Amino acid sequence: MSNFFQLVRNEQTKLYSQLSTWILLGILVVIVLGFAIIMRTAEGIMPYEDETWKQTLQEENQMYAEIDPTDPNIAINNYRIENDLKPEGMSAWGFLYESHYLTSVLSLITIIVAGGILANEFRWGTIKLLLTRPATRTKIFFAKYASVLLFALTALIVLFISAWLFGMIFFGLGGDGSVLQLKDGEIVDVSVWTRIAQDYGLQLVKLAVWSTFAFMISAAFRNSALAIGTAIFLMFAGISVVSFIADKPFAKYILFANLDLTQFTTGYKMIDDLTLTFAIVTIIVYYLIFLVVGWVLFAKRDVAGH
Amino acid sequence: MAEPAMQLIGLKKQIGSKLIVKGLDFDIQPGEVFGFLGPNGAGKTTTIRMMVGLIRISEGDVRIQGKSIKTDYKEAIRHVGAIVENPELYGFMSGYKNLLVFSRMIPGISRERIDEVVKLVGLEKRIHQKVKRYSLGMRQRLGIAQALLHNPSILILDEPTNGLDPSGIREIRQYIRRLAEQENVAVIVSSHLLSEMELMCDRIGILKNGELISIQQIQNTEEDAPTEVVQIDCPPSYHEKAQRLLQERFGVTAMASGEKLTFPITRGEIPSIIKELAVADIEMHGFAVERKTLEDKFLHVIGENVIE
Repeated sequence: MSNFFQLVRNEQTKLYSQLSTWILLGILVVIVLGFAIIMRTAEGIMPYEDETWKQTLQEENQMYAEIDPTDPNIAINNYRIENDLKPEGMSAWGFLYESHYLTSVLSLITIIVAGGILANEFRWGTIKLLLTRPATRTKIFFAKYASVLLFALTALIVLFISAWLFGMIFFGLGGDGSVLQLKDGEIVDVSVWTRIAQDYGLQLVKLAVWSTFAFMISAAFRNSALAIGTAIFLMFAGISVVSFIADKPFAKYILFANLDLTQFTTGYKMIDDLTLTFAIVTIIVYYLIFLVVGWVLFAKRDVAGH
Repeated sequence: MAEPAMQLIGLKKQIGSKLIVKGLDFDIQPGEVFGFLGPNGAGKTTTIRMMVGLIRISEGDVRIQGKSIKTDYKEAIRHVGAIVENPELYGFMSGYKNLLVFSRMIPGISRERIDEVVKLVGLEKRIHQKVKRYSLGMRQRLGIAQALLHNPSILILDEPTNGLDPSGIREIRQYIRRLAEQENVAVIVSSHLLSEMELMCDRIGILKNGELISIQQIQNTEEDAPTEVVQIDCPPSYHEKAQRLLQERFGVTAMASGEKLTFPITRGEIPSIIKELAVADIEMHGFAVERKTLEDKFLHVIGENVIE
């Protein structure tokens, strides 16, 4: 086991010795900054003033009602007006929550790392040194995979810290970020941590699946461009594929139809007879297939010359 | 005889329907420098890759210190240090960090051992520089350093002198000899440079189209007095006189071609030949001793270099 730990440690050393890893993390921070600036600008359009906030909320309600009279925001706004609860506006915690939209950037950089971590060893020729040591190929495969997950976790922490810091700079620390939500016809106060856990968590499922896919292609074809390219392409194009074939009986067995778990919290399902359990099982099956295929191909194939 | 460091037993490699390596059987002893010689495409690299487990063995086995690389990979490979083809290391890390990373893959390598190996290959001054700034010679040294980290009893070097300048080649050669003689390491070297191999190896296996066609013992001693070929550069007008003298005094027949006279002779007779020729006033512009080189033997056994 300590042997495995050393292998993971080696992978981390190699990863962070490369300039490109730091550039990827740098890009993430810059995107969070850009997002904060955009949100700050947008918020300035309709501020909630102490004297006029009730009026502002009523104007909002009129806008909502024109589009969809059953919009839950109308009930929430009315509840605020009745109970004299002024909306907080954006705060550091709120921005941290909003940043869950940026997890697609997180997926992107994790895919880049996952697609390169094995293929690059082949490109550099260092795979020959790696595989002529008393560590089995299986151990090296999983040490590299663990290293990818560790990188994803690190990047998530970077996202959290930068989002909170920029949130504090641009929006201040006011409020605890909790919001009111309509649940079963009742208004409830939901803390920011509940929302973060839920919405980040659902996004991280996608991240795990696509980076595992990239890792599999990287192990099987030993080509990082192919691995990164196909993973990113499928991540973005997969959803539209489902909409074309949604009426086919096999559609619900397709990974893309199940992968977006937010469809079960919002209720807008891609295919009507999907259930949460079915989706989770399907995702796990695909995930294991990716991992096993990558592992078998990596462990069995010859390492021949260039 | 001691237990062989490495045994190849009916080793075969088949890719598709083509047999790349057609059954190799030989042993390599501790303290021996074994050369693997053959034209490009003969199967040298394929064999070496099978020895270290990079490619699968179709048939037969490789035993390292008695342990099969197929069934007992971990125990077998821990005795092996190898550079397969070029010494490719992580260019974005320093030489030291490279060694540190590889040392973590094998238990029991101390920092002191890393320093020791660095000193051994003479890289102390540049070890903290990034490897991408290294010259090929420095990379080759670092490659050897990583192969030696865990005190292997078998060192496998694929084309170790590739791309090195003459002084670098000599250094590597001396280094390999020292390892074999002092540390009793079995060294396996592959090359297509014949003259190189002759200076470095104790035995040379010649590989052609995946078959071992000959194993040559290299004699590095002078008592064996191998037949030398001497070539004299002198004007054709002296040829007849020289030929007659050589025939009468030494009993050899010299062949004339252009300005040159060529004849075989044992090493011990060379000084007296020079003296006699000089005394006989034969105008010599050059006197060259060409050993009957491995190259001749090599070309003789290999024949035309045809890749099947």
